[in-house]
Amino acid sequence: MEVVAQDPGVLRDGRILTTTVKVPWEDLEPGPVGHRVCVVDYDSSTQTMYKPAVVGEDGGAPGSDEELMGDPGFHARNVYALVMRTLARFEYALGRRVNWGFRAHQLKVIPHAFEEMNAFYSPEDEALVFGYYRTPRGVSFTCTFQDVVVHEACHALLDGLRQRFMAPSSPDQAAFHEGFADIVALLSVFSLGDVLLTLLSEDAGKGTPREGLIAKDRVSVDALMDSVLLGLADQMGGDIGSPRAGALRRSVRIEPDEAILDWPEYEEAHARGEILVAAMMRTFVDVWTRRLESLGSIEGEYLDLGRVAEEGATIAASLLTMAIRAIDYTPPIHIDFRDYLSALLTADGEIRSDDSRYGLREGLSKWFGRYGIKPASDAADGRWNAPEGPLQYDGVRFQSLQTEPIEMFSLLWANRKRLRIDPGAYTRVASLRPCVRISPDDGLPLHETVAECTQYVRLRADELGQFGLTPPEGMPPEQELTLEGGSTLILDEYGRLKFEIYNPLPRKRSPSGNARAQARLQYLWENGAMNAGAGFAARLATMHRRRLGLDDRIARSEVW
Amino acid sequence: MATPPTGIRIRSYNVGFGDCFLLTFNYASGKPRNVLIDFGSTKQSGTGPSGGMKEIAEKIREDCGGKLEMLVATHRHADHISGFGGDTGKVIIELEPEIVVQPWTEEPGLDPEASGPDGGGNGALHARAAVARISAMQAMAAAALEQVPRLERAPGVSKTVTEQVSFLGETNLANLDAVRNLASMGKKHVYAHFGTKLALGRILPGVRVDVLGPPTLEQSSAISHQTATDEEEFWHLAGRHLAAVEGGDGELFPGAKKARRIPQEARWVIPRIDRMRGEELLAILRSLDGVLNNTSVILLFEVGERRLVFPGDAQLENWHYALRECDDAEAIRKRLASACFYKVGHHGSLNATPKSLWNGFEHRDAKPEPGRLATMVSTAAGKHGSTARGTEVPRKVLIDELEKMSDLKNTQSLKSRSTFWNDVELEF
Repeated sequence: MEVVAQDPGVLRDGRILTTTVKVPWEDLEPGPVGHRVCVVDYDSSTQTMYKPAVVGEDGGAPGSDEELMGDPGFHARNVYALVMRTLARFEYALGRRVNWGFRAHQLKVIPHAFEEMNAFYSPEDEALVFGYYRTPRGVSFTCTFQDVVVHEACHALLDGLRQRFMAPSSPDQAAFHEGFADIVALLSVFSLGDVLLTLLSEDAGKGTPREGLIAKDRVSVDALMDSVLLGLADQMGGDIGSPRAGALRRSVRIEPDEAILDWPEYEEAHARGEILVAAMMRTFVDVWTRRLESLGSIEGEYLDLGRVAEEGATIAASLLTMAIRAIDYTPPIHIDFRDYLSALLTADGEIRSDDSRYGLREGLSKWFGRYGIKPASDAADGRWNAPEGPLQYDGVRFQSLQTEPIEMFSLLWANRKRLRIDPGAYTRVASLRPCVRISPDDGLPLHETVAECTQYVRLRADELGQFGLTPPEGMPPEQELTLEGGSTLILDEYGRLKFEIYNPLPRKRSPSGNARAQARLQYLWENGAMNAGAGFAARLATMHRRRLGLDDRIARSEVW
Repeated sequence: MATPPTGIRIRSYNVGFGDCFLLTFNYASGKPRNVLIDFGSTKQSGTGPSGGMKEIAEKIREDCGGKLEMLVATHRHADHISGFGGDTGKVIIELEPEIVVQPWTEEPGLDPEASGPDGGGNGALHARAAVARISAMQAMAAAALEQVPRLERAPGVSKTVTEQVSFLGETNLANLDAVRNLASMGKKHVYAHFGTKLALGRILPGVRVDVLGPPTLEQSSAISHQTATDEEEFWHLAGRHLAAVEGGDGELFPGAKKARRIPQEARWVIPRIDRMRGEELLAILRSLDGVLNNTSVILLFEVGERRLVFPGDAQLENWHYALRECDDAEAIRKRLASACFYKVGHHGSLNATPKSLWNGFEHRDAKPEPGRLATMVSTAAGKHGSTARGTEVPRKVLIDELEKMSDLKNTQSLKSRSTFWNDVELEF
């Protein structure tokens, strides 16, 4: 289907750059409404319901730019295609069907929900909503920005994979949803060769003997950061501007520093998420440059432009798959950036043992490290450690382990000491997902089962001592709170435990594990996360107060 | 040394939801001197004067003997300045105030439309951006208000949300007539910020007035290291898009086909989109409301050792600079602690009377002893916030505390159409 390649500001030959994306075929109802996505073109600001769009034989090829931007039906097909493509990317990377973060199967997508510069995912409404806003130069439709659509779809998908990642936990977790969604959105745009080719062509032709070449000095890390990353930010939204260009520009400009995560300006979720994006984008550009060095040059100083763009798109696509696949290898509760790095390295290493061609894992370790993100695992290669010795399998039926949560729970219970399960806590197998991933090395399938086990303990602040924790200053003894913990278990095709990735409930005799739990408790208390309500207004208000050096603890103590 | 006043009468008029305070300083010899602090209303009281705001304006004229020495418009919310526009504004203009005090954000030179001198440099640039943001916000309020009829028709939107959008929309509308009148009044005009020196020697002999807020951008940014924020970008773009709307909004997709009836598969989600729309609008208006409240001028009047606090609608963020961040915060807190009068901030909302300020007042007293702290609140319940969320205005726990620990005069207790004011009289 035809979609806008990035947004209406990215042009080629003076026209909006569009590209064709492949989406799984299905027999669509008008909307389009398919088995996973239901587009409802209703505008609440004008209370208008547009005629549901039909996807024709031609996949909806657009006419002129004016027709394209002035046709709500094209917008509806555009969001449908982009959300479905993102879903397909997730399913491809994870080797199985992926659910949304709610019980229904169809995500409602509203391309022109209201006149407002905003787009968001609303789990309780099972919807992605996209606003539009008028500017002196025309109307900007957030549903025609590929990075915005993919970003929001990514929130809905990540929420389906790890429901607890939306909950407050730590500065890293708050930042993770944003950073991850941005990474997927950017890599998704770059994995379309058309966009890279357009960005590189801007001034590639200067001084080259003929068209279709690019000088070697224009593909250094710095040059690519400038032409591709900042170039994209500059073009985003064109004259009208993009609400997201600033964020991209900021992430590209964050210079590496190993202590950066401790800087106060990077405590806020969006700014912190930009560090994750920075590390990933530098990896992308660095790997790309190194790959180009191994390509033969033309007349000593030039490279084939098409080939350069193609290599970039391939690397972006590989990193995108890695970024998504890693989610299966994260703990179910309380993620931090270090966990994500170990997950990236492990997930990729399991399926792609040979990393010599692009050096993606090496690149990730290097650049994450330069931003102070070291693997959570203490293994030399940063991957999660294999468990020590086999589990107790008496009475467990292997076949059901892949499909029956209760069978999985019986395995957990039989091994509760080994698996750090607190027998007193509320415990459940939150998900059980068999997957088949295809190895790019040999084309053979890799069978795995991923199970999430979560545990909760509800208690009062004056009972925290039982878990080796101290109530934060100012917390009343009768304050009710919940401690959470959990493990992700990866089983091989014979039901044997391959990895156990855990953030267990704090225990009295585990001082090292408790340091993180204590920090989390402190963070939640200081950020008012134990009180309800953290919508848009609350977020703006918090941001505004922070700028004045007024933190939430003071603010809370001052109000009636 | 000028002879100080012997006493003061503070009169609070029943404007409904709004503020209007007349301070009359009495002297042993010579005529009394008058200071009017705010004159506005968004929802007039059902028990107010039958002649409405006009009658209040005439009463002000009578009470000040036809002359104001000083006029303060704490910030540009309708419930504080609406009375300075229209017919009532004409009355106030005739009272010829010697000096008019407004927050620095009102300085005409900072108006993006104006070509006046701006002092140059980055500071002026930022200040202009801040002021531009305020006009963008007010344009946004107008746009939100236009949405009210649609919200009323949408079944998914609760009545409370619609009412609050309507109320906050009106409060935050640009009161252009009032703003113009204010700019035209006063032999002297001061656009005040924390630390502005008000030279009132001849106007109010023996009275010292300190400005404790709002801080300037430089003052508050000295604390923070962040500059550009999403918030700024947001308001700028919102402002720009509204500018275009005013030029004619037209149809979004001229000629596009509309559905003849709502398709079945859309019926579940449409009320939800309408609800989201209402809530988003309300959230934006709330944060906008807070930003404008925080431009309030905070004044500390001082006669000898007696001190009176008038903070407009300043919320925590505005107070924070004077109470904690400025160099002489400790000395300021000490002076505030000895106050004998406090005008309750923002109609008694939950975050406009910082607890540390309140707990610091030394003259709070559970018993009605002489010298007990006097307080006044001008408010109307059921207009702002929600009891269920603990955001109602006035906040009940705060009013309870004020009643328990001070001599509180509340405009809500005024029931007479002829005596539509509360008085507090203090001897110096």
